[in-house]
Amino acid sequence: MKKETKNNIRLFVIGACIFAVFIFPLYWMVVTALKTQTEIFAIPTPIWPRDLYLDEFKEQLSLSGDTLRGFKNSAIIACGATLISTVFSIPAAYGLARFRFKAKKGLILFFLITQMLPSTLVLTPLYIMFSRMGLLNTYLAPILADATLGIPFSIIILRTYFISIPKELDEAANIDGCGHVQSFFRIMLPIAKPGVIVAAVFSFVYAWGDLIYGITFITNPTMRPITSSIYNYVQQYQTLWNSTMAFGIIAIMPVVLIFIFMQKYIVSGLTNGAVKA
Amino acid sequence: MKKGKMKSGTYLGFMFTLPAVIYMLIFIGYPMIENLILSLKNVDVYTFAQPANQQFIGIANYVELFMDTNSIMTKSIINTLIFTVGSIFFQFFIGFGLALLFSKKFRGCSFFRGVTMISWLLPVTVAGLLFKFMFASSGGIINQFLMALHILDTPLDWLLEPRSAMTAIIVANIWIGIPFNMMLLITGLTTIPSEVYESANLDGAGKLQTLFSITIPMIKPAIMSVLTLGFVYTFKVFDLVWVMTKGGPVNATELVSTYAYRLSFEEFLFSKGAAAANVLFLILLVVGCFYIKLINDEEEAM
Amino acid sequence: MNRKRLIAAGLTAVLSMTVFAGCGGGNNSSTAGGDSAPAADSTPADSQTAEADGQTGSTEGGKEVVIWDYFETDAQKEMMQKLIDGFNASQSEYTASHVYVPFSDYEKQLTLGVASGELPDLVIMDGCGMASFISMGLFGDISDADVKWDEYIAGPMESTMMDGKHYGIPFATNCTALFYNKDLFDAAGLAYPDENTTWDDFKEMAKALTNDGVYGFGNAATNTDEGTFQCLQWLYTAGGSYTDIKNGADAYQLMQDMINEGSWTKEVVNWTQSDVNNNFMAGNLAMQQNGPWQIPGIEANAPDLNYGVTVLPKRDADAGQATSILGGENMGAVKKDDMSGAVAFIQYYDQTEVMVEAMKMYGSFPPKTEAAKDAYWTEDPIQSAFITQLETSIPRGPSASWPSYSAAIQKGFQEVMTSAKTPEQAAEDTQAAVDAVK
Repeated sequence: MKKETKNNIRLFVIGACIFAVFIFPLYWMVVTALKTQTEIFAIPTPIWPRDLYLDEFKEQLSLSGDTLRGFKNSAIIACGATLISTVFSIPAAYGLARFRFKAKKGLILFFLITQMLPSTLVLTPLYIMFSRMGLLNTYLAPILADATLGIPFSIIILRTYFISIPKELDEAANIDGCGHVQSFFRIMLPIAKPGVIVAAVFSFVYAWGDLIYGITFITNPTMRPITSSIYNYVQQYQTLWNSTMAFGIIAIMPVVLIFIFMQKYIVSGLTNGAVKA
Repeated sequence: MKKGKMKSGTYLGFMFTLPAVIYMLIFIGYPMIENLILSLKNVDVYTFAQPANQQFIGIANYVELFMDTNSIMTKSIINTLIFTVGSIFFQFFIGFGLALLFSKKFRGCSFFRGVTMISWLLPVTVAGLLFKFMFASSGGIINQFLMALHILDTPLDWLLEPRSAMTAIIVANIWIGIPFNMMLLITGLTTIPSEVYESANLDGAGKLQTLFSITIPMIKPAIMSVLTLGFVYTFKVFDLVWVMTKGGPVNATELVSTYAYRLSFEEFLFSKGAAAANVLFLILLVVGCFYIKLINDEEEAM
Repeated sequence: MNRKRLIAAGLTAVLSMTVFAGCGGGNNSSTAGGDSAPAADSTPADSQTAEADGQTGSTEGGKEVVIWDYFETDAQKEMMQKLIDGFNASQSEYTASHVYVPFSDYEKQLTLGVASGELPDLVIMDGCGMASFISMGLFGDISDADVKWDEYIAGPMESTMMDGKHYGIPFATNCTALFYNKDLFDAAGLAYPDENTTWDDFKEMAKALTNDGVYGFGNAATNTDEGTFQCLQWLYTAGGSYTDIKNGADAYQLMQDMINEGSWTKEVVNWTQSDVNNNFMAGNLAMQQNGPWQIPGIEANAPDLNYGVTVLPKRDADAGQATSILGGENMGAVKKDDMSGAVAFIQYYDQTEVMVEAMKMYGSFPPKTEAAKDAYWTEDPIQSAFITQLETSIPRGPSASWPSYSAAIQKGFQEVMTSAKTPEQAAEDTQAAVDAVK
């Protein structure tokens, strides 16, 4: 029992140290946002802000109408892309993990290949395609494009996850008289829940962080995702570090909150869902 | 009976996969083929508007990219390799360490783990700027730290010297990529039943022994996919470098992706830009085949 | 087995249905999203698509004329709005509106527009980029329009033309000049720079002003065309040109010398023009090379800054005034079946008083010789320095291959400024690179 506690404390200390180094850039971002322009360029620059200078935050918040709209747009795009990518990738990953068929390796390679061109270079053909389909300046264009990032990724991640689940489980199910499809829905999906959540989260984050598709396919300022707004802002006010950082913080705050909140579920998914073979 | 099962498996497995294949063929396969065709033509600022003057010129664009003695293409491939290997090496080991740490249960564990993920949620544009700011020659906090610790005597022009600029973008990319590695490895670790560890413990295996003989072999599929995906995603990084250095100084941080973008959308050498992108693609294709071969071996072993 | 097949087929069907439901969901939410700001959401997007299809949709005020611009500051946006309101009030046949496209994405977006046909009627763009887009077929010939072509300043005018045909008109013109911080000069006991300042004087000044976090001089030398725009003038002033690097090699020498002394800050290789101005405002730079569009920013953010502007330093005492590089925007008419709206707007802007009013708000100069003589510019000491500098300013190119020239030239500057190569070596290599551009 005592040894346990000691061990616990040691882990806590190690965790806290790594955490501190890792988190420093974020801390620095917040501190910079709270400094005046003179303090930022002072040598040595103060490690914490002397008196909290909240003007930049106030200024950025006064623009919050635009920011909120950007959020809404980003949320629509990211949710749409996540939905598409999850729905397509789960069965594909299952198929590639559990069945032997001729084209299998070719297909895995195919999904990998689709990730191999930088998105900037598939822009032109995609743009022309969406233009013909009349999808430019609709949320659907970035949604469809962003899902192409999530699908292969989710398939590859989920495939390894499905493989790690002992085969005996669905074999047992088969013996019990379940068909493949039934065993997929009734046994594999519940067990794979943590993997699915992780894949969905990653798809969401990819779509949320996407800049190039959003900025290219949507020229209507009221429909632009938040990443475009940040990018535009930054282009203009680069070295006004405090306001840039304030904008950045406000812009990511909701995602961070959602994420920290969601973490509980992700973690519980991870621990409860673990295979008890 | 057995034969029948395999057959149905073939059909079913394919049907499960088909929708995703069709989706990707439409939205990525088609643009890739277009890109390939474009790279074999002579489309530039003069012929762009005149389809009649666009001709197939074979692999001339590819040859031209590499021919020059001061070829930026060759340089950017080397840069990309340095960038990718440097990033992956640290991302993976730090990420693995963190995954092992955070898969244990201790106080504050889930909070730490949660906050660690933020670096990855940050839009890359903002992360790039943040690091550009921290690496600034004057007023940058990194110089200040290193000088306070007497590692540096005078401020280093991080983003202005070819070598340190590369270091700076790698450091920034490592920071962004650690959560990716950590999260996927944690997911892998959870598939190891705790009984396996318990029995190893009973057998008197040490911690390192357990790590090398149980943990790593058991999550090998996860490790392989993390490394492969990490390689593919790092190899085509664009935004981060574009924000931090735009490929400079003097092409020292020019990656294949930034070079291809520059050719296509800044110099309007569309065919050449497509060719550069396809070179990047070809390199990744080799990596992809390597991965498939590993999968092959691993599944035969199973 | 048959049952399994059936189930598999059913599953695929169900899956694809969920997927379409998913798409539908996305669609619905997008319309729902649009409800919060219906007018704003639909008008620009719809009008744009309508424009692209060539079915110039007639709304309440007549035919739509859509203009693309990259104007970011409040003053610029206000100018554009006023211009559009003025045009809409002046006639009833057309209704103009504008769409903001970020500068960094502008040329990419235009390229994609040319490829797909999703284009506005008028494009306001950087003058030196126009040649490439004329060549790419973005703009249509408007030589027959009722525009007073001969009133325009030659340099900017040239950049709107190709093979003797007109594709638009210059919208605004400007150039860079030398800003100096009077307080820093006074503190160092130095006389302010003026039209007689030579490179040697300039070098001495910059050295004397450099100390403790303050650099003598800075300009924008980032590895984009923005860097070329600011650095190229040194090459011309030294006697070179964009195709003749070798004769301008003295500029390389000056840059490397000053950077080695620390009086020309090395950070410039990553600086854009706003970075330079921000540092000038913060008092980190005693002198900067920059343009008139920075003046409103200085007035807003550093109203107490005591500064002056003069022409850029000349080569030596015997040489004439330094060359500067023309900047500014052109307004090009997009090639379409019906270009009458674009032409109408261009003819509206062609009126000298409209142009003068707009340029006062914009912080640039009207591209007509006559218009630039307005007292607003000639009687202000800072503005008049730019008018003087404009007299010896030349355009970049014009060449459809300008971006390739620019990339080669900028690489040379970066090599010199980071001391990657000696001035001689850099001149040699850059000349070769420039010669290789088709």
